Amino acid sequence: MLWATRRGCHVDRTACIWLIRRFLDPQATFAFFGDPAEAPEGAELFDVVGARLSHRGEDCSFETFLKEYDLDDPVLREIAEIVHDADLMDEKYGRPESEGLDAIVRGMQLELPDDQALTSHTDVLYDGLYAYLSREVL
Amino acid sequence: MLGDMEKRTRWLILIYQLPREPSRHRVAVWRKLRDLGALYLQDGVTALPEDAVTREQLEWLQLRVREAGGEATLWEAKPGTVAEEAELVEAFRSSREKTYRDIIARAERLRRKAQMGGGALSERLGKLEREFRAERRRDYFRSPLRLEAAGALKAAREAVRDREGSARVLGTEGKV
Repeated sequence: MLWATRRGCHVDRTACIWLIRRFLDPQATFAFFGDPAEAPEGAELFDVVGARLSHRGEDCSFETFLKEYDLDDPVLREIAEIVHDADLMDEKYGRPESEGLDAIVRGMQLELPDDQALTSHTDVLYDGLYAYLSREVL
Repeated sequence: MLGDMEKRTRWLILIYQLPREPSRHRVAVWRKLRDLGALYLQDGVTALPEDAVTREQLEWLQLRVREAGGEATLWEAKPGTVAEEAELVEAFRSSREKTYRDIIARAERLRRKAQMGGGALSERLGKLEREFRAERRRDYFRSPLRLEAAGALKAAREAVRDREGSARVLGTEGKV
């Protein structure tokens, strides 16, 4: 399936892409656009204003994904808290990991402005976070 | 890692104009820019170093200005010379001084209060820590006062812990 979002990904979008690849659609392909008018026909949009899979109420897009797809994995729930705090910076969940994640992903994006390249690297980052939290949570 | 020229910061410049009334839009946009740590180069012209987050926030602001009946354009920019860029960076650093000084003064008051045995210390400490983290996020070029503020906060934290440690049996608080 073709998924599309805005160019210049940060924590919320890179985490959503990881979630899609690992939990929803292993064959997923992604398009990144500068303007929503450039979004490819028929693509599922996410983290785009007005899309089904976007910010909703207090939730960031990653949290909306968990709700929309009924993903009730406790580790994903924790990652959602970290992503939320890093994305919205409201300290809602007080997750200390969010500050480090924000710094690392911001820096990676400066080094890898191509979103395909960026997300192939951030996937590994979220795999690591998942493995670390699994040990604590399960 | 590349040389100086290639690695120079890229900047985003938001140029905007909003109708004078209602003033709430102007205030809301100004507040948002202040929270982001943007620097006004002149009236209606603000700069931020570029990254995915500042870009997203400024794109969102641009939309907001347009929705409020104003005009806004977002530019990528590089100052013409290294010296001009250094000046800009220095202006960013100085713009953070006032808030850091405020945090330092409050951290010192809190430390003294803890040493004299006051109450409601953790709440005040928590608030200061949150403010410091927010300040650090918009301190893009590490103001020299950041270190001083971190030090004042550390001293306050230790004083609060000492105070609460003596007031309560250890190990009964904190999240599991």
